[in-house]
Amino acid sequence: MSVLAAKPWPKMTSREEFRFLADLVLTRSSGDQTMVTLHDHHGGTTRFANNQVVQNVDTRRGTLTVTVAFGRRRGTASTTDFTAGSVQDALMRAERIARVSPDDPEYLPPPEPQPFAARETARPETMAAGPTRRLEYANEAIGQCRMENLVAAGIVSSSVASIGIAANNGLFACETRTDARFSLTVQAGEATGWNAAAHRSIDHLKIQERTLAAIQKAKRGREPRELPPGPYPVLLEPAAVAGLWAWVLWSLDAKSYEKGTSPFAGKFRQEMLDKRLTLANAPGHPDLLGVGFTSEGLPSEPSTWIDHGVLTQLAYDRFTAQAHGIQAIPTLEAPVLSIDGAACGTVLDLVKQVDRAILVTNFWYIRSVNPSDLTLTGMTRDGTFLVENGEIVAAIKNLRFHDSPLRVFRQIDAWTRPMEAVTAETGKMLAPALTLPRLHFSSATRF
Amino acid sequence: MSSPSWDEFAEIALKRLAVSGVEYGDIRIQDSLTESIQGEDRRIASIRDIRDIGFGIRVLYHGAWGFAASSILSLEEVPRVADLAVEIAKGSASIAAEKVRLAEEPVHRDRVVTPCRIDPFSVPLEKKTDLLLHTMEAVHRQAGIVRSSASLWARRDRKLFMSTEGSRLEFDLLAGQGDCTATALHDGRFASRSFNTPHLRKGYELIEDADLLREAPRVANQAVEKVHAPVVDAGRYDLILDPEHLSLTMHESCGHPSELDRALGYEANYAGTSFLTTDKQGTFRFGSPHVTLVADNTEPETLAATGYDDDGVACQQWDIVRDGIFIGYCTNREVAPTIGETRSRGSNRADGWNSVPIVRIANIGLAPGAATLDQLIGDVKRGIAIEGHGSYSIDQRRYNFQFGGDAFWLIEHGRRTHMLRDVIYHGITPEFWNSCDGVADRSFRRRYGFITCGKGQPGQSGWMTHAASPARFRQVAVIRGEGSG
Repeated sequence: MSVLAAKPWPKMTSREEFRFLADLVLTRSSGDQTMVTLHDHHGGTTRFANNQVVQNVDTRRGTLTVTVAFGRRRGTASTTDFTAGSVQDALMRAERIARVSPDDPEYLPPPEPQPFAARETARPETMAAGPTRRLEYANEAIGQCRMENLVAAGIVSSSVASIGIAANNGLFACETRTDARFSLTVQAGEATGWNAAAHRSIDHLKIQERTLAAIQKAKRGREPRELPPGPYPVLLEPAAVAGLWAWVLWSLDAKSYEKGTSPFAGKFRQEMLDKRLTLANAPGHPDLLGVGFTSEGLPSEPSTWIDHGVLTQLAYDRFTAQAHGIQAIPTLEAPVLSIDGAACGTVLDLVKQVDRAILVTNFWYIRSVNPSDLTLTGMTRDGTFLVENGEIVAAIKNLRFHDSPLRVFRQIDAWTRPMEAVTAETGKMLAPALTLPRLHFSSATRF
Repeated sequence: MSSPSWDEFAEIALKRLAVSGVEYGDIRIQDSLTESIQGEDRRIASIRDIRDIGFGIRVLYHGAWGFAASSILSLEEVPRVADLAVEIAKGSASIAAEKVRLAEEPVHRDRVVTPCRIDPFSVPLEKKTDLLLHTMEAVHRQAGIVRSSASLWARRDRKLFMSTEGSRLEFDLLAGQGDCTATALHDGRFASRSFNTPHLRKGYELIEDADLLREAPRVANQAVEKVHAPVVDAGRYDLILDPEHLSLTMHESCGHPSELDRALGYEANYAGTSFLTTDKQGTFRFGSPHVTLVADNTEPETLAATGYDDDGVACQQWDIVRDGIFIGYCTNREVAPTIGETRSRGSNRADGWNSVPIVRIANIGLAPGAATLDQLIGDVKRGIAIEGHGSYSIDQRRYNFQFGGDAFWLIEHGRRTHMLRDVIYHGITPEFWNSCDGVADRSFRRRYGFITCGKGQPGQSGWMTHAASPARFRQVAVIRGEGSG
């Protein structure tokens, strides 16, 4: 692998090159408004299972998307071919669509040019990482599991992307974003343990520490007891909290709220959750995946969404925001869920405070059951335990929950500070581990 | 100088691989065109025309895989990516404990084209947007409707597959779909009802034959009826499940567990494993004798019927469950030999040039029975008829599932009476399929497909079609789909 290690990654589209490509479109467009976006991505994933590599991939894909509008008629076309002829073809296809499209009463021209915060979205160590580094990390996790006679399955990935947006009103932004991920499922016979990380910096994946944590979970998960379904106090680790909160975040759409088709209908500016709980956007946080600007060309800034249990912000599209006189549209790509008051230091400190509860490492396949009240369902996964008198006393077979985060987060008993949380199905956030007096489990499975 | 042809690019890659010492290699060059038209609340919210061109090279070196792909199709990039795939495979091989051995497959040289009456990309855009706008207007004519949506989707994939074994396969494939949804509001709650054409490999005739305009008033009317309907009482009910609903039930509870890579642990970190472990093959009672589940990647118009998979293996038909007994897996060339099979079932598919192919669910369908739908319903004292898709969730080994639906009707004493709302049923997969005591005959058979089946890391979207006639399941646990209060 020495040859690979010495090779540079392919050159990504630079700011200047994006400006050149954008000008190629903007100067030739016949539209009243024209917008160009860039997503040039290069990355790879080393995937392992049964203690060996089963998939090892490296992909470069650049996409240029052109949106043209005549009045309120709009068309969008994209291409992965950046040669002049193909870029021109994308423009012509967008123009052709826009000419025959019906008026869109909600169309708005691109946002006016504005300054965007310069954020540390790209880390050189991740940009420099390639198949060799990914393989080293995979081998480290596999090696630790092999030594314990356990079976590892997981991924190590790293990527870099050039993201840009430009419009014929002078709007222009371009930034480089890196992303590194590690996730691991350790199998100890029938029992499994899991851990995961996502970060701008590949140096922050903490492979050894997370592998040990997953190993510990798997070993502790052997010989699970069966508990009957029903309501239980729960201790949710940060990933489990993030899994539930992802659905809260996805349901904050302002247009649905206005139309009455939102679980938050009638709850805006009302206290709806535990009054110590606050949800904020922190795009500058070094452990989150914040950005300088959005895909619509809007700035990402710090904002508060739930303030001490009160819903204070909704997710606005530009049309709905304008109709309601909202000037600055807040974003929520770097969420932090925090709770006021004295926090426990670690999950184990929380365990010590619990009389009886089910400890949930993670949830899987969370889906909406009833969008009117945000009832969700999902399975516990990769480490579910019974806690009694301040100790983890046994592993338990996985359970299916059937409940609404809008009900269960009305009261929080104890919590940690926000910690990094990432799951297979949601983005990254900072969330505490916490205990809740009741979560309803509707059925059990066989393992 | 004109650009080299795809064949010339492929030859450059394969020659590079031939001297690199790999035991196997293939290249897929693909040009995909997707047209997506989305209508929302009486407006056309977006029209997108997405062109996605690139190539991926996969190699097996000393029994370990490497894959590299790029959207830059050029004389410089193709050899670079070929070399990178080899180097990555060498890295994989450096820590490989067990070597991959591919099942044999004859060399194929063929061209596969989706037949169609009307090319969807030749239909004027105005005709399509008019259809969606009129469909949404028809939805909103119903009192009580607050929101609507309607959409059309079409895709053309032109693809060239060539391998170091000598296979050369050329594809020109089409797929399409259309749908509309109505949402009604009443007393602070809301409910939706949808009409979906199946996703099929057909031309625009799929949309014309489905007639969204005809379906829109029914959908709107049923959305209003649904939001006013009484909530279900929890308990045990006999269920009559329609083909669209069953497509998802089969997909989740039979399709995924029959993927051999899952049973072998390849997906342990994400999609999960399978309760259908290899020791159960041939003996495990998956369902009642009424249950025969057939994988058929040769049925015309279905999504997985692409002639050949991305291993270059010819599409086939085989049984997953025969008369209730689990007998067959979905496989690829890599995993088939691990269970002693000499040939892959041809179910290895990638979702684009930039993805490595993985085992995918085949077109799995429930074999028709002998009953009529009236006979199935007539023998139900207290039951629920369920149509369409709703909430769905299942554990990572595919035992415990919980499903909703799009529309529900109470059945009393052999008659479908009125709608219900918030119906959720749950169970354990083999117990559920063993409760099946009747399947309607072939005249009731319908096909529904998926293009968003998530699996793999990085995530890929799988495509497959599931056909069924309505089927009856006895005494299934039903709960209310609302918060526990």
